[in-house]
Amino acid sequence: MATIENNKELSMCGGSAPKPAAPGAPASITPPVELHVCMGLNACKGHDRTGTNNCAGTGYCATAQQHSCQTLNNCRNQGGCGLYGDALQQENPGNNNCAWQGSCAVPIQAERFSTLGTNKGKSTWKLARQLFEKRMNEANRTVGPSPYECGPPQNWLVSLLGSYDSCGNSGNKRCSFGFNNPDDNAKKLCEGKAE
Amino acid sequence: MIHQKFFGDQAEKVTPENLGEALQQAIEIEISTIPTYLFTYYSIVRSPSQQNMINSLTNALLKIDKEPRYTFDEASEIALNFSADIMVFANRTGALIMSVAIEEMLHMALSSNLKQALSGMPILYGRSPAVWPADLPGHKPALKINTAKLSLKQLETFLNIEKPMKPKVTNLKARRAFIPYPTIGDFYQMVIDCLDKNPNIPYNTHSPQLVPGKGYYAQNNIDTIYYDKQHNPVFTNQDDSGDLICVADKKSALAAINLIVEQGEGQLVKDAPYLDKDNNLDFAALLQYDFTPKEGEEASHFEKFAMIYQTYYEMGKKFEALDIKDITFDNLFITDIASNPATADYPANIAPVSDLINGVYTYIFVMIEECYRKSGSTQYETFMFGIHKSMIFILNSLCGDIMKLKYHKEGYGECYASPTFENYTFSPLARPKAQLQDLYSAAVSVYPAISYLGNRVDDLPDVDLK
Repeated sequence: MATIENNKELSMCGGSAPKPAAPGAPASITPPVELHVCMGLNACKGHDRTGTNNCAGTGYCATAQQHSCQTLNNCRNQGGCGLYGDALQQENPGNNNCAWQGSCAVPIQAERFSTLGTNKGKSTWKLARQLFEKRMNEANRTVGPSPYECGPPQNWLVSLLGSYDSCGNSGNKRCSFGFNNPDDNAKKLCEGKAE
Repeated sequence: MIHQKFFGDQAEKVTPENLGEALQQAIEIEISTIPTYLFTYYSIVRSPSQQNMINSLTNALLKIDKEPRYTFDEASEIALNFSADIMVFANRTGALIMSVAIEEMLHMALSSNLKQALSGMPILYGRSPAVWPADLPGHKPALKINTAKLSLKQLETFLNIEKPMKPKVTNLKARRAFIPYPTIGDFYQMVIDCLDKNPNIPYNTHSPQLVPGKGYYAQNNIDTIYYDKQHNPVFTNQDDSGDLICVADKKSALAAINLIVEQGEGQLVKDAPYLDKDNNLDFAALLQYDFTPKEGEEASHFEKFAMIYQTYYEMGKKFEALDIKDITFDNLFITDIASNPATADYPANIAPVSDLINGVYTYIFVMIEECYRKSGSTQYETFMFGIHKSMIFILNSLCGDIMKLKYHKEGYGECYASPTFENYTFSPLARPKAQLQDLYSAAVSVYPAISYLGNRVDDLPDVDLK
């Protein structure tokens, strides 16, 4: 790891700059995009996975690395939420403090619901969007509509990513045993009703 | 196995002198239940292929050589309805058993907190049953517990483990070096009595415990829910059903004990018709009793198992009435595995995988012990990135992987392999994690399908035996 030696004679007011021990560092870098966990949660233009969105809230996909479950996120704000974790974690999708502290998969499919906390039984993506809009409001930023009103449907993610998996052994949320229409169940979540 | 003798031959109650040993017994009672519940859990196919089930049921119904014969539409409709009932039942049974297993892990931590506060370091490594079947430590009369697939018999064992404490049974003699008790609730009552009679027992408030507010325990997760027939999720635990408790005084000690007993046995039902005068379970009466919890209340472990038992029995009878010959009810959603398997039973292409599972299973206890030596961030990282990851991303995955392998069990025939939940004895000559990595290398060499686990094993915290 590159280090900078401490120079006691170097003060804020002068002295020669320390020499970084990082040979081969590029003179310029591509500014990184803000990392976020799903569709419609980007704060800036061009900050979605494709880099083509025009404004806040309109991005198609997460910039954080895709993963399938709790504790598999890389770093701060890169964890999904909803199926594992305690109530506090589940009330803060995409808002974890550190690596491995997210509580579920990224991206957050529209069918996902929280299993604990004040959002129990309700859409995880809608909670993430609500927290995002609050943050943008505090920053005086205009937020555009998400490509899907209630987050990316699982079938859409499968068509885009080839496969999609989030954690758990209880089976596919988007399913029917022959006595329900999965679209109706998804609509209920989208309307903000508890499962 | 490194079981120490806890008591003299005739210890019959908890005293200040043997309190630490009694709390160690409590830890071992809780530990013993976890593998037996998990084993049965893994035997259940929670999400079987409904279409395959519909096809086989329809075909079987059409083959029945009895008048009046089913038309294809009639057979299809019966198959659809029955398969949907099985889809719900299999998933519900899995969710309920998992919800109990998770609460048993909570109880293991609560009893460890009690021991840490009242006596000193809890011992977990090597304290899971050494061989199966095993005795529930100290239970009187002896209660054999098995690692066995889901069945009415196995559920009867679960019900006996969790049965409520009534009526009071006295004059029990210790059969071996444990304090005897007729129900787990009675055992904990002896601990409460000791604390009541000895109010000056000191509490150690400085040594680390597993405490609430860290995200260590969650009442519900996706594995404790199931979907009803309309595919709406049903939560098996209540949000306020309990949490970790830091034991610092008598009040918190009693709260921890009461939580264990309430979650396990639930409220005492006066004149419960399913318990005879000698506290034995009457399963015929149990089938008739309504165990549905009141709105907003969580069913106890006993009640959860009783509800599974009732539904299993009813659905089995319903299946029998269909008069289907070609397929069995159990085979529609339960994996065919032998009872009480041991790694020694397995051929060379499976035994190293079983060793790895047992190594991971045992290393979890090593890491839990570490959580009682370290506090703060070290404890958090050991728990979340060690214990949690081992359970969810290594052990759970491996339990699914090994059950894809078949072998010939003498006296049983061909069946699927399964986790054996035996203690793995780590050598003192090398660090346990290095040994775990060696176990992984041996396992992946005979079963390359588990190669995705290499990084997960490498990422585990490096915790030593103390």
